[in-house]
Amino acid sequence: RGRRNQKGKNRGCVLTEIHLNVTDLDLGYDTKEELIFRYCSGSCDEAKSTYDKILKNLTRKKKLVTDKVRQACCRPTAFDDDLSFLDDNLVYHILKKHSAKRCGCV
Amino acid sequence: EPVLSKGNNCLDAAKACNLNDTCKRFRSAYITPCTSSTSNEICNKRKCHKALRLFFDKVPPKHSYGMLFCSCRDVACTERRRQTIVPVCSYEDREKPNCLNLQESCKKNYICRSRLADFFTNCQPESRSVSSCLKENYADCLLAYSGLIGTVMTPNYIDSNSLSVAPWCDCSNSGNDIDECLKFLNFFQDNTCLKNAIQAFGNGTDVNVW
Repeated sequence: RGRRNQKGKNRGCVLTEIHLNVTDLDLGYDTKEELIFRYCSGSCDEAKSTYDKILKNLTRKKKLVTDKVRQACCRPTAFDDDLSFLDDNLVYHILKKHSAKRCGCV
Repeated sequence: EPVLSKGNNCLDAAKACNLNDTCKRFRSAYITPCTSSTSNEICNKRKCHKALRLFFDKVPPKHSYGMLFCSCRDVACTERRRQTIVPVCSYEDREKPNCLNLQESCKKNYICRSRLADFFTNCQPESRSVSSCLKENYADCLLAYSGLIGTVMTPNYIDSNSLSVAPWCDCSNSGNDIDECLKFLNFFQDNTCLKNAIQAFGNGTDVNVW
């Protein structure tokens, strides 16, 4: 039971969305168009693979020379469809792989 | 100052489209081929037309008509409306053919032939009717009109201060067929049934039909 509680506390790696103006992205476009931006957030503390488990154990026992080895990160495993928009000078632009569709601890 | 500075209905429709997954997907799906230049052409017109047909086939009218038939008060808005179909690829061509010749090439294609027939049936003006349409059905007229987008008869707005539309053709070099040609072209350019249908959608005055 204790374990389940802990799991609930650690909000897992999930897809979250936010409504933005295209200009909020700071990619240099002048336009009034908007988008839904989806991103991955949450912890990946639950070691998934044996590799992750070993890393965790070795880090705890201070057996690794460097601490730079990274635990799994919550990242997109698939991207949303392309987004197109017309800018203030009547030029079309297309954003690819700009927004997450699925997330995973990788 | 940039052309599109203030907000307008066409901008609102574009925003609404990108917040809807279906509209966003099919919009990008035609913007991509319609704006990708090939080695010796501005774009692959065939692919652009195909993706435009798919957009109007798959996206609910609320969104697709929202961008195509939005009502405007300024040039920023009408220019955005004119750009909806990416006219530099889907509409304009190096030469303007004679409208009757264009009609002939349309009739050789199954999709174009049937959609042009639908347009002439469903947007037939009738001055004595309240709606100005013989069929008294704006939704059918707009469906028939938007159905032409993505065929060789692809129509677009011809200027920024009216709802006049036309396919990419004119009536020069018509010879003896000049009257027939003008009749054809004016069915697009000067059609009160179509204009009223576009206006009714843009103003939301014919809401129960959609």
